[in-house]
Amino acid sequence: MTFLNVVVRGLLRRPVRTGLTLVGISIGIAAVVALVGLASGYEKSMGKHLDVLGIDIVVSNIRGGFLPKAFDASLQPRVAKLQRVAETTSVLMEMQSVEDVPMMMVSGREWGGFTWANLSVVSGRMPRDGKERAVVLGRMAAEVLKKKVGDTVQIDAEELPVVGIVDGHAVIENGAVMLSLQVLQEVTGNEGKINFIDLRLVPNTSKEDVNKLCAQIKEIFPEGRAMVASEVVSTSQGFRIAQAMSWSTSFLAITVGILGVMNTMLMTVFERTHEIGILLAVGWKRSRIVFMVLCESALLGLLGGIVGVALGVMGIWLLEQTTAVRSLLEPNLSLNLMAVSVAIAVVVGVISGVYPGWRSSRLSPTIALSAQ
Amino acid sequence: MFEPTQIGSGKVVFEAVALKKHFDDGKVAALQGVDLQIRQGEFVSVIGPSGCGKSTLLALLGSLDKPSSGTLTYRGQSIPDLPDPAAYRCHEIGFIFQSFHLLPTFTAAENVQIPMFEGKLSRAQRKERAVELLKSMGLGHRLNHFPSQLSGGERQRVAIARSLANGPSVLLADEPTGNLDSKSAQQIMELILQLHGEMGMTFVLVTHDLTIAERATRTVSMRDGRVTSDQLSNRTAIGALNDIS
Repeated sequence: MTFLNVVVRGLLRRPVRTGLTLVGISIGIAAVVALVGLASGYEKSMGKHLDVLGIDIVVSNIRGGFLPKAFDASLQPRVAKLQRVAETTSVLMEMQSVEDVPMMMVSGREWGGFTWANLSVVSGRMPRDGKERAVVLGRMAAEVLKKKVGDTVQIDAEELPVVGIVDGHAVIENGAVMLSLQVLQEVTGNEGKINFIDLRLVPNTSKEDVNKLCAQIKEIFPEGRAMVASEVVSTSQGFRIAQAMSWSTSFLAITVGILGVMNTMLMTVFERTHEIGILLAVGWKRSRIVFMVLCESALLGLLGGIVGVALGVMGIWLLEQTTAVRSLLEPNLSLNLMAVSVAIAVVVGVISGVYPGWRSSRLSPTIALSAQ
Repeated sequence: MFEPTQIGSGKVVFEAVALKKHFDDGKVAALQGVDLQIRQGEFVSVIGPSGCGKSTLLALLGSLDKPSSGTLTYRGQSIPDLPDPAAYRCHEIGFIFQSFHLLPTFTAAENVQIPMFEGKLSRAQRKERAVELLKSMGLGHRLNHFPSQLSGGERQRVAIARSLANGPSVLLADEPTGNLDSKSAQQIMELILQLHGEMGMTFVLVTHDLTIAERATRTVSMRDGRVTSDQLSNRTAIGALNDIS
C-alpha cells in the first residue's frame, strides 16, 4: 500500500459525494475551456482574416462598440498619400441581424479594392461593378442563411439579389455578406461613411517606418488610430469585452468549484475526526495528515479538470453546430488552454484543501479519538 | 518476594512526579497528584473504578494529551516537552484500545501498515512486515479482510499487530479486552502475556477487570485521581509466560 492508496481510499469512502463534487468542478472547468476557447477562436479567426486579405495596417476610429464608429471617407486619399503606403481600400462593416440569423458580418468593400481580389467564386459571379445593387455570400453565410444564387437577402429595408457565392479562405470572410461599399452606404443611409481603411505597405517596410507611419496617420486623424494587423483584434473593444466576459464567467464558475471542493473536504475532515485521531495515535505527524487532505483535494481537482476539459471540448463542439457561432468564428482549442485548465483545477483543489487541512491538523488526539 | 524496583532491567522508563491533569478549566480533576515509576520490562496493570483517572494517565504516558502540572518523563525526557511527539508515539510506544480503533476502509494488512508510513521501510517491506505480524497473531487467513468482516477478537489482534508495527519498546493498552466475550478476552490476554514474555517489552495495561489485572507483574490501584496502592503480584514475567506454555 502506498500513500497514494491512502489518498484514493479517502476519496472513495463516499463515492457519491466525491462524484458530485467532481461534476461541480468539471462544469466550472468546462466553462473555462468553452468560453476562453471561443474568445481566442474569435481572435484567431479575425487574425487569419486580415492575413488572408494581406492587410498590414488597419485605420479606424478609437470609439465605438463591437465595431468602431464610422468616419468620413474623405480621409482615405490623405492616408494613401503617406510614405510607404502601397495600396489602400475602404470598408464599411456592419454587424447586423440578417433575416433569421441574429449576428452576421455585412461587409461593404470599395469596388476595385484589394479586399475583393482574394475571393474566389464558387457559384454564380461577382458583382458587375460598384454600382450593382447585389450581394455575394461567403460559403458559410450562404449555408447559414440557406440562400443560393438567384435568391434575395434583406439588408436593412432593401431586398438585394444574391449573384454569387464565394470562398474567402477564412471563417470571417466565409461567414460574411459582401457587397460594394457604395451600395451598402446607400442602403444603410451612411453615404460618405466608412469605418475601416485597410492599408498594404511597400514590401520590407521596417518597424521604425511602420511606427512613423502610424504616428502620421494619428496626426491627420486624431480621433482615430492606426494599428498593425496583428494587434487589431487584441485591442478591439468587442474582443476585449468578449474576453473579459469569458474570463469573469470562468472566474465565477471556478469560485463555485472551490466552494464545492472545500465543502466536501471539510465534511470529510469532520466525518473522519475519529480516524484522524487514530492516525495521530499511531504516530502520524500532523504535517502528514495535512498533506493527505491536500492530496485528496488536489486529486479531486485533477480529476475534475480532466473531466471538465472533456466536457468543455464537447460543449464547444455542440456550439460549433449552431449557425450563429459557425459563421463568426472557429473555436480555438489549444493544448495550452487545456493544460492551463487542468492546472487551474489542481490549484483550485489545493486551495480548497488548505482550510480543511489546517482544521484537521489542530485536532487534539484524545478528543479526536473519542469522537464517533 | 520482589521489590518493585527489582523487576525488569531496572532502568526507569516512565516517571511521574506530582502529576496532575484538570479538564474544563480546572473544574474536573482527573489526576490529583500521581507519583509513579515504571521500569523496563515491567507489566503494570492499572486498576480502579471508571473515572478514577487511569485512562487519563495512559493518554499522558502516550503523549496524546498534556498534563496540567507535575512532571512526567520517558527515559529521563519530559514527555510534554518532546520535540516530536508524533515520532515518540510512532517509534517508542504502541497503543491498544478497548474499541480497537481500526480504520474501517482499510484491510487488516493495510491497517497494520498505516503506522509504517512514518518509518523508512519500502512499500514491499511494509507489506511483508504487516503480513508477518498478522501471521504471528494467527491472522494469516484474514489479511485482506476489512475490520467489519472480522470478529472482535480478530480486530483486537489486528490492532495489536498494528501497535507492534514500528517495533516499540512500550505498549500502552486501555481495556484491551473490554469489548470482547470472555473466550476472546482470554485469548487476547494470553497473546499480550506472550508478547511481554518473548519480547521483553514494557506493558502498561489499564483495566477494571481484576482477573486480568492479576496476571500482571505489578498492580497499581487508583481512585479519584490518586494512586491508592502499588503491589507486586507473585507472578513475574517469566512466571506469566509459564502460565500459558
